[in-house]
Amino acid sequence: MRIRVDTELCQGHGRCYMLAPDLFEADDDGYCQPTDERTVPAELADQARRAFMNCPEDAITLTEET
Amino acid sequence: MTDAAPNSHYTLERPEEAINPQSIYRDLRDNTPVASLSGRSTTGTVTITRHEDVMSALRTPELFSSDSSAVQIGNVRPLVPLQVDPPHHSKHRKALDPLFAPKQMVKYEPRVRELIRELIDEVADQGHCNFHEDIAEPLPSTIFLELLGLPVSRVDEFLALKDGIIRPPAHSLEERYEMVRATGQKIYAVLEEVVEARMAERQDDFLSTIIDAKVAGQPLSRDDVVDIGYLFFLAGLDTVSASLDCIVAYLAQNPGHRQRVADDPAVIPHAIEELLRYESPVPVVPRITTADTEMSGCPISAGTRITVLLGSANTDERVWDNPEEVDFDRESNKHLGFGGGVHRCLGSHLARMELRVALEEWHARVPDYRLADGLELRYSPGIRQVDNLELVW
Repeated sequence: MRIRVDTELCQGHGRCYMLAPDLFEADDDGYCQPTDERTVPAELADQARRAFMNCPEDAITLTEET
Repeated sequence: MTDAAPNSHYTLERPEEAINPQSIYRDLRDNTPVASLSGRSTTGTVTITRHEDVMSALRTPELFSSDSSAVQIGNVRPLVPLQVDPPHHSKHRKALDPLFAPKQMVKYEPRVRELIRELIDEVADQGHCNFHEDIAEPLPSTIFLELLGLPVSRVDEFLALKDGIIRPPAHSLEERYEMVRATGQKIYAVLEEVVEARMAERQDDFLSTIIDAKVAGQPLSRDDVVDIGYLFFLAGLDTVSASLDCIVAYLAQNPGHRQRVADDPAVIPHAIEELLRYESPVPVVPRITTADTEMSGCPISAGTRITVLLGSANTDERVWDNPEEVDFDRESNKHLGFGGGVHRCLGSHLARMELRVALEEWHARVPDYRLADGLELRYSPGIRQVDNLELVW
């Protein structure tokens, strides 16, 4: 599974770093980081899904690797 | 041409409509999703209710402008950054975001905890209180005045000024405009006095930080600092109080949910997000169209004032499963309780921290409470404060 954040869409709601604290953290302005596309470790797949399902701006993209 | 469907059933201004607005929102979404309502201040405006349309308005600030003609709140210059549209908006926002970032809020948490404990100490042993007057109003307003750098000794005066803008006791639209305008002048006078003093001598507060902030490499003008202060004054003195009112009013009436919060403080952050969704204490944000457009197939002319009904988007069954059920374990909660798009609430992380600490401390001391017998709660239209929130335990 791969995850990335569209920084144009992200408005700093902070739902992702609240629900997926092992994948995201707040930067100094309150927006999430990191945002570049990366592979989600298998044990964090549930956190990745929660972040994806709770972003009000739909800024998070999840892709299942086959 | 604007062709919104007339709906004479609702005004979104009557107190009785503010008690359980969720069913009104549903009716609007189903029958008049782009509505022309018959209230005093809603006449001539278009109310949009579906999540898809609300998101679309929030995400296209170039078409749905947040500039100062969208709303009448007593200011003579645009509030910064709320009433400044992109591209200028992002420069101001970038300078202000760090003040309210989660990392900063960690520093203020001990003071919030100390103050809420003092407030609870005052009432815990008496077995009853007016939660709005005793807790929900003094907590955020004291914290906010301290942070901003306004004298806390004048809190009652400032709360009266804030209410003079948000809930003026007017009987006509003209009277309302006049009251709001006059109150706005008083708020400017207070801010100008304090900003002058801080320009002469800095202190450890937000106003001093803002005076020294650079926006695109340039210092802010005195007017800019005052205009930021005006926005903070209205936003900081009202929204967290109303949110705390709405959340505690819900818990007082729903013993199962209240018990869960009392038993497991770890659920509190999730309870806050879910109740911000369901209750939507700030249910509306205003916009004004800059060009002819349409929403859900309905034509809307340039220059139309738009009531963006966040509360309805937050309970839209097209997006949520069982939206009128309060479920702290909801898998997907993309709520717009803090708005969305570029103007999303600047103070959201402060609000969340205050709400969390208040609910933690309250339930540690007063875990089992309910509404006073026979009480009919009074929710204010607009920002939903509950001023008669009488609790017993």
